[in-house]
Amino acid sequence: MSSLPTGTPLIEAQDLRHSYDGKVFALDGISFSIGRGEVFGLLGRNGAGKSTLIKAMTTLIQPTSGRLRILGLDPRRDGRRIRERIGVVQQSESFDFTTVEGNLDLYGYLWGVPKAERARRAEELLRRYGLEGFRRRRSFDLSGGQKRRVQVAREFMHDMDILFLDEPTVGLDIVMRRTLLDSIRTEVDRGLTVVFTTHNLEEADYLCDRIAVVDAGRVLALDTVANLKRLYSGKRTVDLSVAPEDGPRFFPALVEAMGSTATITTRNNTAVLLVDDPKPALAGVVELSQRLGVQIEWLTVRQNTLEDVFLRSIDRSDTGGPHGRP
Amino acid sequence: MAAPNLTRLIYRNIRVNTDVASLVILLGLPAMYLIFFGYGFQSVIQGTTGGSATSYLAFLAPGIMAFQAVMAGTVGGSMLWADRRWGMLAQLLVGPFTRIEYLFGIMLTSLLFGLGGAAIMMGIAVVLVGSTTLTVTGALVVFGSIALGSIFFGSLMLLISALVKSNNAYNSIQVLIIFFVNFASTVFYPFNASLPGALQVLFSINPLTYIADTARAGYTGTLSGHNGLEMLVLAIETVVLLILATRAYLRSDVSTE
Repeated sequence: MSSLPTGTPLIEAQDLRHSYDGKVFALDGISFSIGRGEVFGLLGRNGAGKSTLIKAMTTLIQPTSGRLRILGLDPRRDGRRIRERIGVVQQSESFDFTTVEGNLDLYGYLWGVPKAERARRAEELLRRYGLEGFRRRRSFDLSGGQKRRVQVAREFMHDMDILFLDEPTVGLDIVMRRTLLDSIRTEVDRGLTVVFTTHNLEEADYLCDRIAVVDAGRVLALDTVANLKRLYSGKRTVDLSVAPEDGPRFFPALVEAMGSTATITTRNNTAVLLVDDPKPALAGVVELSQRLGVQIEWLTVRQNTLEDVFLRSIDRSDTGGPHGRP
Repeated sequence: MAAPNLTRLIYRNIRVNTDVASLVILLGLPAMYLIFFGYGFQSVIQGTTGGSATSYLAFLAPGIMAFQAVMAGTVGGSMLWADRRWGMLAQLLVGPFTRIEYLFGIMLTSLLFGLGGAAIMMGIAVVLVGSTTLTVTGALVVFGSIALGSIFFGSLMLLISALVKSNNAYNSIQVLIIFFVNFASTVFYPFNASLPGALQVLFSINPLTYIADTARAGYTGTLSGHNGLEMLVLAIETVVLLILATRAYLRSDVSTE
């Protein structure tokens, strides 16, 4: 791994734009910097641009415009030198037609890892990822979760400075998911830098040092997990649900009634209110429901989570801003 | 010290493509053609022409060696197709390899399969029909023509696998090409004026005819200037096809998503 001090920028993106068809931009002016030893999370919906960003950073595609530096190198000129120092676990399956053990060994061979070292690493990884019992099974005969474990384990057959993980925990059970996340954290403590895309906000909360919320090819929010949550610190979240047929008349009235005292986002027959003081908000909701003859199906008050940050960022992107106070 | 990138890719290609099913297709099918067609048609030909007991086998054997070039080409195309389908193309290209290295890894693997298969067919032919006329020069011509043919058909199959998007379409096109190339060539029967006009044209433009003719002439020690001309035409066609295949592959989407 790189001997650079922790925090030294290993990835720098400035105003990255990429279009596959010249019309729609999958990346639309993205800028960020990732330091050595950092776990950087990319959160976003399907089609938000996360995978395109990963492809650009792993040199699979050349961005249409903007500046990108990986390990201080330009992907346009130094693609191979970059790829020699990165590892990539892609979102889609990728295997050779051989056994689990064979896949690990062959992958290590492709990376130029000496035979004795390949054998040592393969044994360690088979044990770490609970694959010892499947070592002679063909990878294509494994379950989805087992395949994913092989795919992740395989990447640790070689040394790297940056590891790109594109939704690596899809299909893993809870125990293996935690094993993987802890294993990544151990590597990070040794100096590995990780770029991690996920839909799972608990994972992002557990693993990532900083998170970028991406939507429509743009970064909507970028900060440490703690700071993102702090954006809404001191506030409480009120969740409520009404009958589906009542939503269209109740929610507009709720937005009007709450005025600037709450930030409200609605989806189908549910609403989320971000408030400083939940008591008057609860009273207002109940009073309005009685006045309109709408039955509240459930109503809860809770602390803010990363999911709230994510949904609010996405909601701003969809509507140009949430209802009520920003 | 680690092996060069290209060597590593070729080793990987051989290792993942030498399962039983692939070997049966690559070696078993031509061997079966040689044995079943050789002995099967021998009796018919003997009955109509009064030829010697081994004459058709002796004619067919170099043709089947040439046919290995087609089989090697299909293996090359299938390697690209399978790597794209199963995600290994994208995975290898985010590794320490360039696209061109990957492409040449496949081409050289095809070449090795073609030459290896031809050597095995030659061994079978020597056992079945013997060879009193094969010289070192003749053997070099046989393997040279098959090497060129492997690159030609490898390029053709790579071009198709880079352009075609569906597995069914790829398989159908591959079967059609094997059929037409194989049976509209001099692999199984000689070119003569009694063939229908359309078949004569197909025979004349089929690269496998050039490879089979040259391999047969090399094997039987009857090389002529005509074989040199055939190889020159094949070399030009191979260069053109290789350029087209490389362009199509470099422009193709490597991902499975």
